[in-house]
Amino acid sequence: MEEVRIGVYVCWCGNNIAKMVDVEDVSREMETLPNVVISRDYKYMCSDPGQDLIISDVKKHKLNRVVVAACSPRIHELTFRKALENAGLNPYMFQMANIREHVSWVHRSRENATKKAKSLVAAAINRIQWHEALNKRSVEIDPATLIVGGGISGISAALEIADSGKQVYLVEKTSQLGGYAAQIDLISPFMYNAAQLINPKIEHVYIHPNIKVFLNTQIEEISGYIGNFETKITNSENQSIELKFGNIILAIGLSTFNPSKIQNYKYGIIPDVVTSLELEQVLKSGKILTNDGNVPQNIAIIHCVGSRNSNYHEYCSRLCCKNALKYSNLVRSAIPDANIFEIYADMRAMGNGCEELYSATSLKNVMFLMFDQKNGLPEVREASSKDNCKMLIEFDEKLSGERIEVPADLVILMVAKEAHKEAKKLAQTVGISMCGNQFFIERHPKLDPVATTTDGIYVVGSCQAPKDIPDSVAQARAAAARILGTINKGSVEVEVTTAKVNEDTCCGCQTCISVCPYTAISFDEEKQVSVVNEVLCKGCGTCGSACPTGAIRSQHFTDRQILSQIKGLLDKSFELQEG
Amino acid sequence: MDFEPTIVSFLCNWCSYTGADLAGTSRMKYAHNIRIIRVMCSGRIDPIFVLESFKDGADGVLICGCHPGDCHYHEGNYKCLRRYHLLKKYIAQMGIDPGRLHLEWISASEGKQFAELADSFTETVRGLGPCHVKEIIENFA
Repeated sequence: MEEVRIGVYVCWCGNNIAKMVDVEDVSREMETLPNVVISRDYKYMCSDPGQDLIISDVKKHKLNRVVVAACSPRIHELTFRKALENAGLNPYMFQMANIREHVSWVHRSRENATKKAKSLVAAAINRIQWHEALNKRSVEIDPATLIVGGGISGISAALEIADSGKQVYLVEKTSQLGGYAAQIDLISPFMYNAAQLINPKIEHVYIHPNIKVFLNTQIEEISGYIGNFETKITNSENQSIELKFGNIILAIGLSTFNPSKIQNYKYGIIPDVVTSLELEQVLKSGKILTNDGNVPQNIAIIHCVGSRNSNYHEYCSRLCCKNALKYSNLVRSAIPDANIFEIYADMRAMGNGCEELYSATSLKNVMFLMFDQKNGLPEVREASSKDNCKMLIEFDEKLSGERIEVPADLVILMVAKEAHKEAKKLAQTVGISMCGNQFFIERHPKLDPVATTTDGIYVVGSCQAPKDIPDSVAQARAAAARILGTINKGSVEVEVTTAKVNEDTCCGCQTCISVCPYTAISFDEEKQVSVVNEVLCKGCGTCGSACPTGAIRSQHFTDRQILSQIKGLLDKSFELQEG
Repeated sequence: MDFEPTIVSFLCNWCSYTGADLAGTSRMKYAHNIRIIRVMCSGRIDPIFVLESFKDGADGVLICGCHPGDCHYHEGNYKCLRRYHLLKKYIAQMGIDPGRLHLEWISASEGKQFAELADSFTETVRGLGPCHVKEIIENFA
């Protein structure tokens, strides 16, 4: 075996790590550990000069392994693996110790944080002794793309990809394209007609030679991996169709909150209490009328119905405030002498043109009344025959400090936007993560808001978080550009951390075969040993922890590597201070 | 002086490790006793890893994986759960308090839950006092 020569690099991350961890002390102490040839600390290891430092050290000191103590490997592991490749080393001769997310940002005592950092780096140094060079596997990319969801996001991505000459399969659960945007009348804040914007795009999708649309169709199962996914779908004529594609875009959009969950608002009990989505249908019909066909004189718009309230959804639904302002304007035009009340918790109309819309609306004799969600929600009740209106809304008005009653003939509830009802099922089908609110999680909230943690699967539009049309379109086109990039390259390199069988020690018990979730292991009857299909294996390592003889190894997460890491982690010299 | 336990934690890459990262990016503070090892899936956690951790001087072992139904590899967390229950019984027979081993599901969005878990499990192990397995083995050998 060649001599192990390790370089250790401790990152300051500006002040992010250095403030809580004595990086110089860590670096000094690591230099004393066996096989460490050089140990350094540096302001920003991920910067070009930081990477160049590694590359030049590898050459100068003949390093064959590199440990970087910095942020989470989920952020920069690939960056440093690339740097190793540039230095002529195998990228798997690298290990990261996470001393930012798991140390400096979460602890208060500098002394103990420094000790913990040392133990994590020592563990990485111990582990890396046993690292093995692994060869990357390149897979060809099927140039077709599957898009799930035919709303504005799915349509935008489909056109972008199809216009570049690549095949798109657009699968839509309902009987028509257009999604949420097709249900609304005018788009806030610039009052474009939604139908005029979206209908030509839908037409274009239907006649596009590179787009195949499947309506009334749902995805039941997807198998494969980046470059080579496949699914079987059943179309409206009950025919089973097999599709193959290299990338997937999820664009299933959102659902809206059911306001009957909040009893205060009497939704479903008083017919003139309607949701914002129902009002869009009223607006499309051209006439704003109450349930009994009269012109309403008092119109109240209640904000944050199900949003920003820990009993329902803690988050802001983002789109409601500017839509509520839109309704005030439309009602004012339709019924010039109406009393209009915006009953809001906080005005959060943001984005291009929204603040201007707010200012303009406030000049149109609209009453803005504030309530505080913490002090109870407004209560809607039917008015008595003495009152000159159908309903009364009672609440503590925050700015005046008084409890007031507002008359209403029509109440519009600005319902929260929530994750699509099918989101969880789809996430499990394709194998991506969801946040606590069941929106899909992107790979990185700042640096990679389009991809997911599963290669080849992208999320766009409101299935990731409530979004307006311009943001959805931007994200859709970004995903399309990413996919076109991989198609253009023709192939992509994938992880090779699959399982591997040592035929000499395999006893043929087939335990691994029974635990593999991907049927990636088969049994060679002639040799009486298990055989791993590397294409099907996704490297979860479940077989490795079930094998009684240790014959099956999860590469890059071998028993020996992890056991060495444990030993390093528990090294006595880095024990915590008592007291 | 309070006893400061050392706790080895095995976190799956897709849910729990990401959840622990989120605790960091949200600057939540928790006990420094937790030391994390990343595995791709909680199904990769070989019982040997847990036993060796105790043997090498850990006072507690924490295992975190994806919530049932959310496993990136479909069902690795279920396999982990089965092993966990067996391991609890096994370590008790070895003279290790089963309270020193704990399993919890932490999703990628549960940074807060992870921080709270780190604190509460540290307190549990602190209450149990030092684990003497390492010394016993050393004396025996």
